[in-house]
Amino acid sequence: MAKPRGTDGSLIDSLPWTLTAIGFALSAHLPYLPVWITAAFLACAGWRIVIERRRAAVPSVWVRAALALICFLGVLATYDTISGVGPGSALLAIMAALKLLETRQRRDQFVLLFIALFLVMAALLREQYLWSLPYLLVAVLLVMTAWIRMSAERAEPLGRSLATGGRMLAYALPLAVAMWIFFPRISSPFWSVPIDTSSAVTGLSDRMSPGDISSLSQSDALAFRVKFDGEAPPPPERYWRGLVLHDFNGRTWAGGGPIGNRPATEQIEFEGDPVRYRITLEPTNQQWVFALELPFEWTLPRTRMGFRQQLYNIYPIDQRIAYEVLSYPAYRNQASVDVRSRAWYTDLPGRTNPLTRALASEMRARAGSDQDFIRDVLARFNREDYYYTLRPPALGNNPVDRFLFDTRRGFCEHYASAFAVMMRAAGIPARIVLGYQGGEFNPLSGQYVIRQSDAHAWTEVWLEGQGWHRVDPTAAVAPERVELGIAGAIVDGVGAAWGLSAPSQVLHRLVLGWDALNARWNEWVLGYGADTQDTFMRWLGMDNPNWRNLFLTMLAIVFGLVILIGAALTFRLRPPDKDRAAVLYRRFVRKTGLTPATGETPNAFAVRVSAAYDRAEKPVRALTNAYLDTRYGPPDRSALKRLETALAEIPRFAPLRARELLHKSGEAP
Amino acid sequence: MQGRSTLETLPAGKDAGRAALDHARAALGRIILDKDRQISLALACLLARGHLLIEDLPGLGKTMLAQALARVLGLSFSRIQFTSDLLPADIVGVSTFRRATGEFEFQPGPVFAQLVLADEVNRATPKAQSALLEAMEEQQVSVDGNTRGLPKPFFVVATQNPADQIGTFPLPESQLDRFLMRLTMGYPNEHNERELITGQDRRAMLAGLEPSATADALVALQAAAATVHMSDPLVDYIQALVRQTRESPNIDIGLSPRGAQALAAAARAHAYVERHPGVYPDDVQAVFTAVAGHRLKAAGNTSHRDAAELCQHVLDSVDIP
Repeated sequence: MAKPRGTDGSLIDSLPWTLTAIGFALSAHLPYLPVWITAAFLACAGWRIVIERRRAAVPSVWVRAALALICFLGVLATYDTISGVGPGSALLAIMAALKLLETRQRRDQFVLLFIALFLVMAALLREQYLWSLPYLLVAVLLVMTAWIRMSAERAEPLGRSLATGGRMLAYALPLAVAMWIFFPRISSPFWSVPIDTSSAVTGLSDRMSPGDISSLSQSDALAFRVKFDGEAPPPPERYWRGLVLHDFNGRTWAGGGPIGNRPATEQIEFEGDPVRYRITLEPTNQQWVFALELPFEWTLPRTRMGFRQQLYNIYPIDQRIAYEVLSYPAYRNQASVDVRSRAWYTDLPGRTNPLTRALASEMRARAGSDQDFIRDVLARFNREDYYYTLRPPALGNNPVDRFLFDTRRGFCEHYASAFAVMMRAAGIPARIVLGYQGGEFNPLSGQYVIRQSDAHAWTEVWLEGQGWHRVDPTAAVAPERVELGIAGAIVDGVGAAWGLSAPSQVLHRLVLGWDALNARWNEWVLGYGADTQDTFMRWLGMDNPNWRNLFLTMLAIVFGLVILIGAALTFRLRPPDKDRAAVLYRRFVRKTGLTPATGETPNAFAVRVSAAYDRAEKPVRALTNAYLDTRYGPPDRSALKRLETALAEIPRFAPLRARELLHKSGEAP
Repeated sequence: MQGRSTLETLPAGKDAGRAALDHARAALGRIILDKDRQISLALACLLARGHLLIEDLPGLGKTMLAQALARVLGLSFSRIQFTSDLLPADIVGVSTFRRATGEFEFQPGPVFAQLVLADEVNRATPKAQSALLEAMEEQQVSVDGNTRGLPKPFFVVATQNPADQIGTFPLPESQLDRFLMRLTMGYPNEHNERELITGQDRRAMLAGLEPSATADALVALQAAAATVHMSDPLVDYIQALVRQTRESPNIDIGLSPRGAQALAAAARAHAYVERHPGVYPDDVQAVFTAVAGHRLKAAGNTSHRDAAELCQHVLDSVDIP
């Protein structure tokens, strides 16, 4: 016997909702998924709708198996693996699409909705931004609504489905919050979520070619946030040091890896007053840790200061981290440069940028001292018509030559690079520092926001007796870049792209407000990790918040909440007496074995039942009266009790029926 | 006669009115035999502050019912025999000039009574009919520009003879709506008819009847009847019935919202008469034909002979929630 393959069209009411829920859950993944998966999902959804409309048969098991195999191989081919967020969500999408083709009954859509919930959860593995919270809530609400519409007996009004779904979420919310607070966080997780490293993170890289940073400065993406303990240093002192590049190939500066494990502070003289602040660094997938020049202490484990005063973490920073730093803006780097290092820091590849070298030699000869030479070079940038622009012209071979003598338009990396090359040409050790400069103060959160557009490159030169010290050639060309920040210096920036001379005040405030909100979200919600939890638990009065205690507390609280919410619901949702009465009355009707006619009142029915059975009149009468009082009378607790008692006293009619009737007819005259 | 009592012997207190009602009902049942249903409907109609139309052949006790009602409830009674030459002034009264005082003095017509029996209302001209119907609606009459309130309670029992249609002016549907209920009396059964033939003269019994209540008590009863509990499922039931009258293919014109209100009010009053703690479906069913029968317009192709059958059909096709 062949199994039925056709559909009876019973999905037609709930299918649009199920599809909407899955589609919405899937939409968060769409930008990351290969196009063919989206296409496959849409094709399967369309196919299913056609099946449902035409009451056609679902594809046979062989077709479905073949499709599943093809799709699986497709995912494998696209990702080379099936583990990780990307392939995982791709497989989930494929599962949802193919499950559509074998769903036969309404209730089978459970699986589809479960997949939708999984997709929503997987979206959290990709990104946990504040704006994704409303999206997630809407997605879950849609799933719940689809669920209710799937289970509803008849098509109920959409508003009621939505309300029921929302109510269920509201009931679940306290449980979710309790579990979130008390679920033990472990500082070094023994499981780890495979982070999707394929998605690019904008930020500094460990190389610098002309154009790298100017392209970065178009990005409004957040680099990190800073909250100062007390006064912030003025903008010209806010150089956020990242990495140091020293290896120049004529075009590109590169740095050595973060090698070295000795405390690099030993040759540093820290002077003046320190600045204490807290940085919340966005993930960079790099090892560099940014801090104000020059960090003295920091509260980040597994982070050291290596050669060239670079802070680095032994692992790439693949999630948001927060750390406190104590920096001394006034410091003297007395590191000595031996002969080998000197050759290293003055190395220029041969036959590149000859004009620059010639100019440097000439100027050095004229200057007399290294200090004067530096001043002359900066004065040249300042006096001659060099321009600071986001859109410098392209530079061919010998980019420094071309920049210095032809185009004369450049961004910070052009000036830093040109300056360092000139220093090296004159025999002065020089290197490039990459980091950020300035930052915008957000009065709403009290934090400084440093964006990718604040990325900056400057130089350090080594002078005999003075050690390494910072020279920012960009400041010579465009002092306002350092004084006012990137937005003050660049007029052809983002605003210009939108045809605005300057972003409007309101828009700016909105951006700041959103940023402040995000900062709180990061700090309080996403940043709720092992340390914060420990502090919070101790504040709550837990003596020893270890894994076991937290877990037991969580269980106890969740259990208590379930009982509490359950009791509240039972109390609130208990049917009114009159509905309970109807239930009891139906039980009575079943007992009688008779069926009330349409429009037959309970009294009329009672008469009929009394006539049909012997000795039935009294209990039936009592029950009917109690029922009428409970259901139609004014609220009266005792009436329901009477009804329950009466129902208990009703004899089992059905088995007696035949005998009773015979008995009755025998008695008839 | 057993069970006869005077007002003084009636139980006092909160339930005094209630007991009086039961007492009146029992007294009516002794005079008008085998018409318990009509009696309780008439009482319900009265308690719901509605007017009653009795439609049946002569000699079936229509007048007797009206008179007995007035008697047992202690209401002032007047009777207007509607004829084709009846004038509105014959109903509401006239102002006559008094030579002695030199002023016009209003002579109240028969409508100024608490219970007015309008006998054979369809014999009069529409003009005379409308004078009565206006009084029913407004609870007042206007004579010579003066508005005069009618006594309270004010209750009209109109009778119609359905068989004799020659030279009559049947009440139009819009005016039938003024009557809360329409009743038919029907013949008594054999046993009771025998009792009527052999027993005491009804008129003598009526004369000997002591009132069980007073007009004031009746007003209080009306107020009490309007507060009988009506549960949600019962409202659902009323709505379902009304919907059925509108949707049934047998019925051209279903119950109006006013008809639905009338049904609810009548059901409440009936529940009060029957001493139900709340309105039962039985109450709705009991009053349904009386309330809805004259408000429905049967479809032309219906196989239902009369309004009663039509109403029963509606009742039989609606589930009781």
